Amino acid sequence: MKDEKGGPAHCFVHFESDLCTGCGHCIKRCPTKAIRVRNNKAVIRHSLCIGCGECIRICENGAITASTSELDSLHSDKITIALVSPVLYSQFPGVLPKDVLLGLKNMGFTHAVDMSYYFEMFQWATAEYISRNRKTGESPWPLISPVCPVVLRLIVCRFPSLLPHVHPIMRPVALMARDVMSQFKAHYKIEDHDILLYYINPCPSKMGIPKKELGQGGIHSTGALGINDIYAELSRQIKHTEKSDKIPFAQAGFEYEQCTSGGGLLWSMSGGEAEATGLDKTLAVAGLNETITYLEKIELGLFNDIEYIEFRTCREGCIGGALNAVDKYLAKSAALKMAKTLGVGTRLNRERVLRLYDSNWFFPKISPQELKKLGGKKEKTFSFDELRKIEEIVGIIDGKDCGACGSPDCRTFAEDILRGDASPHECVYLKIRGITDENILKKIKS
Amino acid sequence: MPSIQKTFHVTKNDFIHAGEASIHVKNLLKSLNYVPDLVRRVAICGYEAEMNLVMHGGDGELSVDVNADRIIVDVIDHGQGIADVELAMQEGYSTAKDEYREMGFGAGMGLPNIKKNSDEMVITSEQGNGTHVKMVFFNKGLNV
Ligand SMILES: Nc1ncnc2c1ncn2[C@@H]1O[C@H](COP(=O)(O)OP(=O)(O)OP(=O)(O)O)[C@@H](O)[C@H]1O
Ligand code: SF4
Ligand SMILES: [Mg+2]
Repeated sequence: MKDEKGGPAHCFVHFESDLCTGCGHCIKRCPTKAIRVRNNKAVIRHSLCIGCGECIRICENGAITASTSELDSLHSDKITIALVSPVLYSQFPGVLPKDVLLGLKNMGFTHAVDMSYYFEMFQWATAEYISRNRKTGESPWPLISPVCPVVLRLIVCRFPSLLPHVHPIMRPVALMARDVMSQFKAHYKIEDHDILLYYINPCPSKMGIPKKELGQGGIHSTGALGINDIYAELSRQIKHTEKSDKIPFAQAGFEYEQCTSGGGLLWSMSGGEAEATGLDKTLAVAGLNETITYLEKIELGLFNDIEYIEFRTCREGCIGGALNAVDKYLAKSAALKMAKTLGVGTRLNRERVLRLYDSNWFFPKISPQELKKLGGKKEKTFSFDELRKIEEIVGIIDGKDCGACGSPDCRTFAEDILRGDASPHECVYLKIRGITDENILKKIKS
Repeated sequence: MPSIQKTFHVTKNDFIHAGEASIHVKNLLKSLNYVPDLVRRVAICGYEAEMNLVMHGGDGELSVDVNADRIIVDVIDHGQGIADVELAMQEGYSTAKDEYREMGFGAGMGLPNIKKNSDEMVITSEQGNGTHVKMVFFNKGLNV
């Protein structure tokens, strides 16, 4: 298997083969079984990668990195705008969000915009959609939060039957990119391509927000920077202030660079989004394995008495993202303290949000079918006959999922043999028993 | 016609692992590319029968036999059996203990749900001699 060259949309991680020792730890961690060890080096099928970051976390040799954007355009003549996930504030204990935003501007961004406002927009629209859905039954319960992109790709890849459950409101970051773009374009009276948006985020997603998701209207897709990409430089720029000059909510007007709120910080932790819906029948699930377990159960028809489930594949929520600089528990404590300092509340005018809602502002302009193609591909399925042979080979191997063959488990190894992607002699169990390539291949041809 | 058979052991009162056999069956069918609606029906029925084994029955197994035309799921336990099968089949009939009701079970909808979602269903049970729930699903969508 070759380290596939997928399009840019399918490259969340990069494997540095010089640093890879072929230990094979990463192959077992991958939830979509996208990684193999071949010729003593880890290789990935980018088309199956959902960008969860598990391999980045497990690799002890630093051989796997996120494919984020380069920052070299900061000092170009373009307008550069940082779209800031509140997770960033949790990385700087005691520093007020406005000072973090100021630090970004000192780094060279023309503007730094906080996302909290769009969380609130999303929250209102969600409450509205759910109350209408109770009557129309348009979407099946439970609705699945669209906020974590890894969850969406996981659903496309492993649980496509659950796609109708995905909450159809645009993600806050997509609402934000679209709105920020149009506001700044009008403000500066310039064209799209003179503005560069950078999403500063805690998870590996080179592509940032894909153009498709932003809908028509010619918006360029955004770049993305991992928090750890900018952490050192940003720390230098931030002036640590002890003063806690609160940002009062009464200042409801939409002030771009001052719009931080405690509520935004809560969103960075598991449960924050579910809590913000204000509904009773919600659940918040965090962690990759936990997410998979719940998706399996929803597929069994369970949890249809729940209206909304917030999923985050990172433990503790986005503060546990693979590209953070600070440990998730330290970040959590910092975020909780800051949320208290800033206070939580809502600032939006409900009438206005409803008007936007009825003008379809919150709904993606593309069909659900197209949304499905936003990365994360469904693995090719086998024919009945092929599957029977795979079962048979697994039976002959009778192994222990050791991974020595370079595939994550015996079953996947058998599948790889059928795909022509592995040879039986790579399995120690077959070798010990003197079962040759020919023995197995004969079975496959029969 | 080639077929695939698999058997999973299921243990009474083991709520931690309860449901896993049905998940295995569901994933087997998904990897075989059966139409989603068929997979959903098998998964729901398998789960109801598996939970009944865990709550009301005794140790036993869930087996699946799949070919391109149909899927057969057998859930067999060696527990106390059902005294009156016709009664058990009625919507709302349940002998679930209070502790199970607190966990959200005991609506008496499991068996009726199986009836509704399967193409054929046969319960063989005798007081004291365990229970066998056989479910058949026909593959009319033919995605395989
Ligand atoms: N495997 C079994 N062994 C013994 N009794 C059973 C078994 N399966 C079902 N029953 C009996 O049949 C009754 C009805 O089963 P059914 O699945 O319809 O409802 P339930 O399990 O009580 O509630 P629900 O499935 O809605 O949670 C049970 O309460 C139980 O008395
Ligand atoms: S964890 Fe994977 S990438 Fe890292 S050294 Fe081991 S095999 Fe190579
Ligand atoms: Mg039941």
